Amino acid sequence: MTKVAVIGIGQSLRGDDAAGLEAVRQWKEKFPETANRPEVQIEASELPGLALLDVLCKVNAAILVDAIQGSDKPGTVHRLGEAELASFTSDSKSAHGWGVAETLRLGSQLISTSPKIRIVGINSEQAEMGANLSNAVREAMPKACEAIEEEVNELLK
Amino acid sequence: MKNIEVPALARVEGEGGLYIGLENGKAVEIRLDIYEPPRFFEGFLKDRFLQEVPDITARICGICPVAYQMSSAYALENALGVKISPQARSLRRLMYCGEYIESHALHIYMLQAPDLLGKESALELAAEAPEVVKTALRLKKIGNELLKAIGGRSVHPVNVCVGGFYSWPEAKSLKDLLPDLEWGLNASLDTVKLALTLPYPYLEIDYEFVALHHPDEYGVIEGDVLSSNGRKLSISEYENGYIEEHVKHSNALHSHTVDSNTYLVGPLARLNLNHEQLMPNARKALADSGIKLPLKNPFKSLIARAIELVHFYEEAIQLIKEYKPTGPAHVELKLKAGEGAGATEAPRGLLYHRYKIDGNGMIQFAKITPPTAQNLPRIEADLFALTPRIVNMPEAEATLTAEHLVRSYDPCISCATHFLKLKVEEK
Repeated sequence: MTKVAVIGIGQSLRGDDAAGLEAVRQWKEKFPETANRPEVQIEASELPGLALLDVLCKVNAAILVDAIQGSDKPGTVHRLGEAELASFTSDSKSAHGWGVAETLRLGSQLISTSPKIRIVGINSEQAEMGANLSNAVREAMPKACEAIEEEVNELLK
Repeated sequence: MKNIEVPALARVEGEGGLYIGLENGKAVEIRLDIYEPPRFFEGFLKDRFLQEVPDITARICGICPVAYQMSSAYALENALGVKISPQARSLRRLMYCGEYIESHALHIYMLQAPDLLGKESALELAAEAPEVVKTALRLKKIGNELLKAIGGRSVHPVNVCVGGFYSWPEAKSLKDLLPDLEWGLNASLDTVKLALTLPYPYLEIDYEFVALHHPDEYGVIEGDVLSSNGRKLSISEYENGYIEEHVKHSNALHSHTVDSNTYLVGPLARLNLNHEQLMPNARKALADSGIKLPLKNPFKSLIARAIELVHFYEEAIQLIKEYKPTGPAHVELKLKAGEGAGATEAPRGLLYHRYKIDGNGMIQFAKITPPTAQNLPRIEADLFALTPRIVNMPEAEATLTAEHLVRSYDPCISCATHFLKLKVEEK
């Protein structure tokens, strides 16, 4: 049985940084039949550090849903593969800067059969402390949900 | 060489920089710039009910939340004149074992070992020695699993309350961890052997070591505040011996003794002052190491942490084997106005709390002195001592050695800002 983890990543108290958490929450509601399948594991990670490895070493594939920064318009939904991960490398070397990209790199070095990684990224507008999602990111949620749904179904084929 | 400057320190918890100003090859100014913003926890606590304090203060640190829970609980229990049951006390020690295990495994392997092995990060280490990093991650995870079994989750566990615990964890969930803990005890003994083979830079400092000391056990949750200079104070007398003050370049307070001396808290202090109270395997690992105490090289804090890792695995096994909870998990509290101090040994060193409460149990005053704030002046003094040894090195190597020194303290800047980048400047 192919096991797929759907992992929402972000800080719920920092504006659009919560986009990944919110997209996974809405996807669960909108597509319960897929979300409730036994081979699907859903995780919400506000601290995407080493604990993420525990999830990754138990699944065949993982979809990371996360807010991203970039030149595209806020609310743009991207579907990316492992090859594009380099652009996610944080430039901070502090323990606080240990993030998704570092954890995935560590995972690929330590896990004998690394899971296939897909990323659903949502361009953010702001990550202010205490702020809600921006309108552009909120409006992108249906599209993000559909992207998650398509990714899960493709991985479960 | 010009000045040494590290704008943002890597592999430390929190945000800070390091600046070493040089004049004719001598250090004239050293600053750990703590620009992580102050966090005002003491202010948040005012007018909160005392039972909220352990869980609010736990949020000061994601690596050592248990330390904050423990020091606050003991302080508030002292304010109310409450004594917890012996079983709750043992469970507090067991929970602390979980925190020491996860914190020390992280620091030894992921934060400091890359420096000693000439690696930029744990990632580089993992590429070359995946088995070592796998061992490290498993060692750490077992600590987190222990925290989860007692406190419901592996980061920011709950369950500690003023008076004891909200509920007893199931004996089975703890006993199920015994095979992993037995593996961890052996792996931590191997960690000591590995630690002894690493190439530590030379630096010997005549520190004043300060740690909690308890005659019957490795000082963690109760005892006296003991200094290697002979000063012995009860926890409630701590502020008679140790004073905090503001310094311009830091959002963290700096501590010194009443005699205006810097002092050292943490693993070196504990090992030097409390080695007689180590568990048998840890004591044997220390004896077999051939190390002569006191250990005075700050880089060798890693060895002290490794020996403590053995101790806490060993103690966790013993406490779980003895775990048989009966009776209520906490003492019923009778509220009254009062004041109380509490101190426990966080993995990074002594953590002191003092609170004043009113008759309804509401917090009127809070003071929290974290270990890193106590160590900051000592780190700066160590950098002064280190500078003559590094000024003739190539700049990159000098900078790295200075950074390494700071990292060997495992400073928790986030906790202390109530901390690091390196900047060296030739004037």
